[in-house]
Amino acid sequence: MSDQPLQPFAPPADLLAYLPDGVSAGAMVEWALYIVFAFWAIYTLVAIYHWLKYSHASWVAFPSIALHLLISFALVTYALTGTRII
Amino acid sequence: MKEFELEPGEHVVRQLRRHWLLFLGELLPYAILAILPFAVPKLLVLAPPLVGYAGFFNYSEPVMRVALGAWLLMSWTGAWGAFTKYFLNAWILTSQRVVTIKQRGFFRREVSSLLLARVQDVTTNVTGVLFSLLGIGNIKVQSAGADVEFTMRGIPRPEQMRDLIMKYIPEEEEPKNN
Repeated sequence: MSDQPLQPFAPPADLLAYLPDGVSAGAMVEWALYIVFAFWAIYTLVAIYHWLKYSHASWVAFPSIALHLLISFALVTYALTGTRII
Repeated sequence: MKEFELEPGEHVVRQLRRHWLLFLGELLPYAILAILPFAVPKLLVLAPPLVGYAGFFNYSEPVMRVALGAWLLMSWTGAWGAFTKYFLNAWILTSQRVVTIKQRGFFRREVSSLLLARVQDVTTNVTGVLFSLLGIGNIKVQSAGADVEFTMRGIPRPEQMRDLIMKYIPEEEEPKNN
């Protein structure tokens, strides 16, 4: 085993070379973000469906959904500040 | 949509869920995930060979803001999903039966009833120092045929619930001797 000290990690400089022609790193970040948002949206819709469907949970349903949407939109807005969208 | 239809003269006596402390335990992994992006750079600074990695966690960089925002969004959504499942799981005691609602996952749900008239045995079980101090325990309700058994796990004050179930079990009618 090598006794060399650990070197700080650095991403390969030619990583961007693997991107298809005409696709920038910024566009890839945006698409990754869209995938996360799509997952969030589907999960949220399914959970909201369950909250609203079952009567024994109804009194907490609206505050819970409102809090989830509020915090989620704050985090989404924060994430979007790192892109060219906002 | 109603979970189940109440019979004429039947009313809900009590509805309960697992103790909130057990729910907090379920939230712990999500809390750790949420803290991780802030804790890791501080921990890396403590290990001299790894100090160089700490520079990646610079959240003034646009890409890192995207990553942090997405990470926190996923952590929050997971925690909210845990709360959804916690809340959708419930035990309902009516004047005639015990209803258990188990939300094992989204689109995987079980609702079952046990008539109190068929209940033969109600057992409570509190195990451990912490659970004893906080009054958290289990209740096992067995039917006369022993083919149906309900277990409520991690509920607050199980003795009270047992007494409540016993109170609503209808007394057997004495056979009439003519």
